[in-house]
This record gives sequence, structure tokens and C-alpha cells, in this order.
Amino acid sequence: MTNHECTCGENPLVPQICNVIKITDETPDTKTFRVQTLDGKKPFDPMPGQLGMFSLIGVGEGMFSVTAKGEDYLDFAIKRCGMLTDALHEMSVGQQVGVRGAYGNTFPVEACKGKDMLFIGGGIGLAPVRSFIRYAFENREDYGKIDILYGARSAKDLVFKEDLYTNWPAMKDTKVHITVDCDDEELACHVGFVPAYLEELAFKPDNRMVVLCGPPIMIKFCLDSLTKMGFSNDQVITTLEMRMKCGIGKCGRCNIGSKYICLDGPVFTMAELEGLPQEF
Amino acid sequence: MKLAKNKLQQAFDLMAKEANLLVPMKIEGVTKFAPWGAEGELAMDAVNTLLPPKDALFPQTEKMYKYKTRLTQVESLEEIKETDKQIIFGIRSCDMHSIDCMDEVFLTRGYVDSFYSRKKENLTTVAIGCTKVLPTCFCDSMGLNPVAAPTADVQLNDLGDYYAVKAQTEKGEALVNLLKPLLEEGDGEAAALECTLKVNMDGVQKKLMNVKMFESDIWQETAQKCIGCGTCTYVCPTCYCFDIEGKECGNEGYKFRCWDSCMFSEYTRMAGGHNPRPSKKERVRNRFLHKLAYFEDRYGKGSLCVGCGRCVADCPVDLDITMFIDKVGALKEAGSND
Ligand code: SF4
Ligand code: SF4
Ligand code: FES
Repeated sequence: MTNHECTCGENPLVPQICNVIKITDETPDTKTFRVQTLDGKKPFDPMPGQLGMFSLIGVGEGMFSVTAKGEDYLDFAIKRCGMLTDALHEMSVGQQVGVRGAYGNTFPVEACKGKDMLFIGGGIGLAPVRSFIRYAFENREDYGKIDILYGARSAKDLVFKEDLYTNWPAMKDTKVHITVDCDDEELACHVGFVPAYLEELAFKPDNRMVVLCGPPIMIKFCLDSLTKMGFSNDQVITTLEMRMKCGIGKCGRCNIGSKYICLDGPVFTMAELEGLPQEF
Repeated sequence: MKLAKNKLQQAFDLMAKEANLLVPMKIEGVTKFAPWGAEGELAMDAVNTLLPPKDALFPQTEKMYKYKTRLTQVESLEEIKETDKQIIFGIRSCDMHSIDCMDEVFLTRGYVDSFYSRKKENLTTVAIGCTKVLPTCFCDSMGLNPVAAPTADVQLNDLGDYYAVKAQTEKGEALVNLLKPLLEEGDGEAAALECTLKVNMDGVQKKLMNVKMFESDIWQETAQKCIGCGTCTYVCPTCYCFDIEGKECGNEGYKFRCWDSCMFSEYTRMAGGHNPRPSKKERVRNRFLHKLAYFEDRYGKGSLCVGCGRCVADCPVDLDITMFIDKVGALKEAGSND
């Protein structure tokens, strides 16, 4: 490294330079990038659910949920779905990127204390949920039973396999339920769509909070199932995605009604969403 | 204090020594605020200029930071800080209030936008009361007074051969002090003035905030003729939305922000292709709701439309926000279609 100048920290729109220190292939189209500042720290200290702006200098910036934080790093799980993410997927360890954040509100980790938790993720939707799951395990005594229900198209599309198969099932009072839409690799797991499996598992709504993230169509059907099972809308928490540029409520584009998703979101309860204009 | 009109040029020369002085000018047929001394003619009687002076604080394109890279490494990254002193001379009440609105957006709610705040700190505003109105003016219906801009640093009022000069802030006092050698004792009251267009905002914000209103047929009807040209957002003094883009040449580049428009479909289109505002109906709805309802709901500082009338005058298909306000006002209740 040559001498490096940067004006990090003062201006929320100017990124900090970070090293990519580890890249994990999750699925054929999703990779997790671990980043660290040049002096070996985590770029910022997000709470579960918060977002970070990730930029490949010279290519572009995109807003992603922070999947995990460690002592001295942050993880972003990023799925390929356009020019920027294609370029990010070409990166190798040692690459330098820009990172700014943390943006947005957080999962209601306090309000959920003392409750049983049901985490539901579909596809890459497990990425935002994972930050809360990890938080719950770090503060295991604060939460009751934990159920994690995760679905993907097929076995090769399952993200965070080590967590799903090894780490999480080993935790106290925790069950992990995995389902794939089609089982082409004869994995020993449930086959079928998430909403159907959810009903099959017949969770009781008493003293339980649900965190639900995934493709819109899955969210819609899971909501129907949860309602059938007796869950009310203020027991179900989700995250919204909108196109974002600034992350700090200034550039104007991420609004739903008078709320800015980059500031007032991305986390909402279904009850809160019902009070907003249906424009997402 | 008062300033004789025949000393205006001397006053400009004095101010231009201290700061970048922006005055209303007509340049190639377009009235706008431009540096004193620019090629063109002074347009003190333009009432509101075709282009608002918002670019003094929020330039059409603004460099944010520059960087150098070497292969996969970032060699340097440096924020670009502009701290030139500026004076806007001759700003009208409507445009002055648009700055109050932008202050709310850029300086409050958890984050201060440093690019904006640095410019604001170095800006002095000299407002001038209107003595005539344009056919499209309606600022007094939006709660403003065409002859008084209370948040301007200095208020001028036209009294025939003189301008009455009143400092309203500390910055304003400093400016009046600078002009002292040219000023004379005395003052005078500005004649009250009424706008041409009238709208009644009573109850409109509340109706528009009602979720039932969101699904009303009024949006389709209103948006039908919009051609999505973006003129309304370009000329609007309170439209502040921006895009962030980069420019690179070899191993150097910079990131900049530039005005964007909610009337363009790109504005909300996501990387995967989904667009929550896919057609002009959703886009016109969002623009009008932002101006007339959301801004008040979020910041509690009134409407984001200051009644300057620019979009009314310049929309190529005459999509008129005042007619829309009247239409909503006439609805029996939110969400009804008559
Ligand atoms: S100026 Fe008129 S036609 Fe152009 S985008 Fe605005 S409303 Fe639509
Ligand atoms: S919406 Fe139209 S009338 Fe209102 S401030 Fe903007 S340009 Fe002026
Ligand atoms: S991303 Fe700019 S306002 Fe939300």
C-alpha cells in the first residue's frame, strides 16, 4: 500500500476504504464478502437489520443488508442481479471496496425479548434475517425457543449451509427446518414450498414473534398461512427493499408515503405496512 | 436604511469583492441567477426567474469526492469541499421559502448533508419584495407574503427610486454594514400585494394523507396528459431529489451527485427490474403527494409547494397543480370520486 488518504467518518455520503478479506461461495449466484477497514477494524457497528452501502470504486454503489458482524469485520451476502453485483462477484480477496453505513432502523430485538422466535427466510431473504438470528444466539438467554424455517429452490441454492446444518441446530432449544422446492440432489430435507411447510409445522402463535423475509410472493403466501394459524399482523416483522442512493433520507427516491425506507425502514411489522400506501 | 436605485451597480461591485454575487439575469432568453458580471442583462423585474436559485446550494451537478485507484487498490479518496462565499441578491419570497424547505431536508432528521451545509453557512440571502405578480403566482395561498421573506438575511422593498433595506439576521447586518457607504437614512413600508391565482389549501393535506385517497381515480385522470418530460421538477425551487453517479478516466475518477426527477421511470427501478412506480399515474401521484401532503407530515413545516407557479407556467401539457388542489378541495371526502 502506498500512503493512503481518506476523509472517512465525517461525511455520511463518503465511503471508507475497506479490504475484502474473505469471499465465501454460498450458491452459484450468491457470495458472502467479508470486509475490514485498512487498520483492521469493522467499518461500522450495525444492529440487526441495518443496511450498508457497498461500493466498487469506479463501478457503482448498492445498498445491502449486513448479514453478520464480527469483532473486526462485516459480512455482506450478495446475490448477482445486475451490473454492479456482476462486478462484485468478479472480485477476489485483497480487493479494496468502499463501505458506508449503518443505515436504517433495526429489528425490534428488545421488544422480542422473552418471546419464542420463528425466523422464516426464502432464498437470499435469509441474509437480513441472519443478523437477528446471530444476535439471538449471542444473547441466547433473552429469547425463548427458536425455530428457523428456510426454503430455497433446490439444494444448490441453500445459503449459509454451515449455519443451517451444523451451527444453528447445535444451539440450545433451537430447531432448523429446511425445505427445497425441488430435491434434485436427494438431500435429506423436506421438499415443498415454504408456506405449505409452515402450515405443516403448525407453530402456535402464543408469545411468539415471526421474522419473515424472502421473495414478495413467498411473503404473501406465508402471511396467509400465518393468519390462518392465528398470528396477528403485529407479530410478523419483515424488511422492505427500495432503490436507494443516499441512505440518509435526502435523495428522495426510497419513500413509501412520508416514510423513507433508508431511514424509517427497512424493518416494519406487517401491521405498520398496512398503514402505508401500498406502493412497494 | 435605504439604497438609491442608481447606486445598485456600485452595491453589486462592493458585494462581488466579498463573495460570489448571484443576481437575476437574462442570458440567451433564460432568466436565472448568475454571477454579477456574466454576459447578459440584469433582470431585476423578472419577478420569479425561469430557473430558481436553488443551484447555489444544490448544484445541478456537484462533485462529492475524487479518488485514485491502482489495480484492485484504492490509492486515495478525498472529499471535495466547496467553501466559497455566495450572496444571492434579489431572491423572491417563494424561492426564499424553498430554501427553508431544503434546510429541513438536508440539515435535519438525523443526518446533516455536509455538501449542503457548507454552502448554506457561506450563503447570504438578499430578498426583494415583489411589486407585480405573474399570471401564475400563488404564493400567498401557500401561506407566504410576496413582499416579505422573514428568513432572508436582508429584506429589500422597492419604493420607487429607492430600496428600503432591512437586515434580519447577523449575516444580514454584516452585509448592510458592508454597503453602509452607499446607504442613506430612512425607510418605508412596502405596498401589500396579492397573487393572481388563488387556491384553497384548507383540508387538502389531510384529505391527501388519508390512505383511501391513494386509490382514487383522481390520479389516473390527473396524470393522463403528463408526458414525463421532467420540466416540472427541473424548474421547481423545492425539488431536491438527486442521483449519485461516478465518472472515471484511467485510474482516476470522481463521484458526483446530480438533480434527478421522480417523473422518470428509472428513478425507482430496482436492480432486479421491479419498479414500485411503473407508470406516470404512480409518478404524478408521488410528486403531488410529496409536495402537498408527505412533506408536511414528515417535517411539519407546511407544504413543499411554495406557490411560485413555475410548473404551472412551464408544463408543456398544462398539468396544473393549482387545478389539482382545487379538485381535491372540492371532493366531498377523501377517496370519493366526486
Ligand atoms: S412538466 Fe408536465 S408533462 Fe412534464 S413531467 Fe411535469 S407534469 Fe408531466
Ligand atoms: S410545485 Fe410548481 S408551483 Fe409549487 S413550488 Fe414547485 S414549481 Fe413552484
Ligand atoms: S436512499 Fe436516499 S432517501 Fe432513501
